[in-house]
Amino acid sequence: MVSYIIRRLLTLIPMLLIMTFLIFLGLEMTPGDAVSFLAGPEAMANMTQEQLAALRESMGLNDSFLVRYFRWLGNMCKGDFGYSLTSGVPIKTIIAERLPATLELSLAALLISTILGTILGLLSAMKRDQPVDRILTVAGMVGVSIPEFFFGLVFLLVFSINLGWFPVGGRLRPEYTVYWDHMKNLFLPSIVLGLSMTAGVMRYTRSSMLDTINKDYVKTARSKGLPEWRINLLHGFRVALAPVVVLVGFRLPMLIGGSVVIEQIFQWPGIGNEFLQAVRSQNYPLVMMIALLSVFMVLLASFLIDIITALLDPRVQLD
Amino acid sequence: MKHRERVLQAKMDRILEAEEQGTYSKKKRNRVVMRFMNNRLSLVGLVVFAIILLMSIGAPLFTHYDPLKISLKEVLQSPSGKHIFGTDKLGRDVFARVLYGGRISILVGFGSALGAAFIGVVLGTLGGYKGGVFDKCVMRLSEVFMSFPQIILVLLLVSMVGQSMGNLIMIFILTGWGGIYRMTRSKMLSIKQEEYVQALKAFDVNPWLICFKHMLPNALGPILVNITLSTAMFILQEASLSFLGLGVPLQIATWGNVLNAANDLQVLKSYWWLWLPVGIVISLFVLSINFIGDGLRDSSDPSQMG
Repeated sequence: MVSYIIRRLLTLIPMLLIMTFLIFLGLEMTPGDAVSFLAGPEAMANMTQEQLAALRESMGLNDSFLVRYFRWLGNMCKGDFGYSLTSGVPIKTIIAERLPATLELSLAALLISTILGTILGLLSAMKRDQPVDRILTVAGMVGVSIPEFFFGLVFLLVFSINLGWFPVGGRLRPEYTVYWDHMKNLFLPSIVLGLSMTAGVMRYTRSSMLDTINKDYVKTARSKGLPEWRINLLHGFRVALAPVVVLVGFRLPMLIGGSVVIEQIFQWPGIGNEFLQAVRSQNYPLVMMIALLSVFMVLLASFLIDIITALLDPRVQLD
Repeated sequence: MKHRERVLQAKMDRILEAEEQGTYSKKKRNRVVMRFMNNRLSLVGLVVFAIILLMSIGAPLFTHYDPLKISLKEVLQSPSGKHIFGTDKLGRDVFARVLYGGRISILVGFGSALGAAFIGVVLGTLGGYKGGVFDKCVMRLSEVFMSFPQIILVLLLVSMVGQSMGNLIMIFILTGWGGIYRMTRSKMLSIKQEEYVQALKAFDVNPWLICFKHMLPNALGPILVNITLSTAMFILQEASLSFLGLGVPLQIATWGNVLNAANDLQVLKSYWWLWLPVGIVISLFVLSINFIGDGLRDSSDPSQMG
């Protein structure tokens, strides 16, 4: 197992190098002076042209492309991500500030969609071709067809504006003292995001479960005279879950992307909102860094998925 | 019993007769169509799809309003006989905007799906058949594109190249070809093992002919399904991006741009006709495409049934 993990980790490295290289290329190609991105605005404010040129030389901006790339990579490893062009705040600070909000929303939505999706998918597979299954299938199709922002708008109108059950947006308010206070704010966005992802999980669980209960080892279990719930849950579901884990795992990083629109509608102060602002103001360093962060999370998630799949499915060979 | 036998007998005769005339195989091909027609949901989908598509294409027949004409005397009127979906903040007729907007939204969705499919299918066919360095490079490239969450990559590219309809279609193609490429490639890899391909190879048939004329048609079913479903996806993406104000430029009417008005809480609360009907139209249209795609999958690939 350990050697499997290490081998899998090693395959991540070339991909990370390619991705960081592309992002660096993007930064080089987009307009904007690299000095302001690297040095911060205070240092820039009182400088003459000669001083700037000297600074450029001392920062190594006149070096060759590859040298600059590896220096940039080294800085990133030390935690120096550069500065936002519009506010001058270090990008590291911005991400550290915004990431918890996004993770909170994403994890809540992930939890909702996973639990609801697997239960409904399982139900659908076990009642195959019965009315329950038909209704759930059509409901799932409707779920993936409604744009999530439209879904969010309807929820916002009904539950926040008309019924007044939930706040219209935001995350933390000055009057909140206990963590649980802001559950009210979290509720609507996470439900909308969660429900919009449920259909995918449900469909996947259903087909995966149908696939498994027709396998020989499930028939063996049945012929041994095991009770039906044991067959379904221990023999069928455990294996059927593996592909579902893959799907859920891939949703994990998508959530940074997936929550962009929902964060905008509910004024959720997360990475997605920051990303949109950066895109609008063409704040390239911030755009690139958030993109890189999301890529990093995708790669990390796919690594974790492989490990978990190996643990869940006894048929996966580790060597 | 006697009667049934006679009916069967007659049917058999008909088949034999058709076979003699050489028309039987044509009937057999229609089985896919027949199975599709038997799927009630797909049929409903097809009807809804056709209605919305035709109304968008023939927009001038259904409304005499200009979707871009500003009329400050008729601002924010609620739906009435004169304006079916009411008017917006600038007095533009919302119904006309939805109809004309459909043209652009469907064009963006379908155009992007076709473009992505073209690139994906060509690369996937060649890569799957030939393998080697070319295949490895393209596979790596698709991995790079697929490592980004799609909307992040789309927004990143929008920020770099700027907003326009052409750019948006290009970006969608660039970010969307990976999925269909992988599917075509894996399909090709399995078709490659079949005996008829081995035979063609043994006869030294031109490899281009083998993959595009003899192998590709056998992978067409899933490709068609993929094009359908990605059209739905791109329409949804265009709507989201335009809703955020980062898709097609605002002066062009598209479904997403009409919905853009709902960014304002006041509009959301008091002027439902500005965003509710168009939201429902998008949902219905995408739903109908998804139903069609599902029906196509069931009828073209029996192993996927159920």
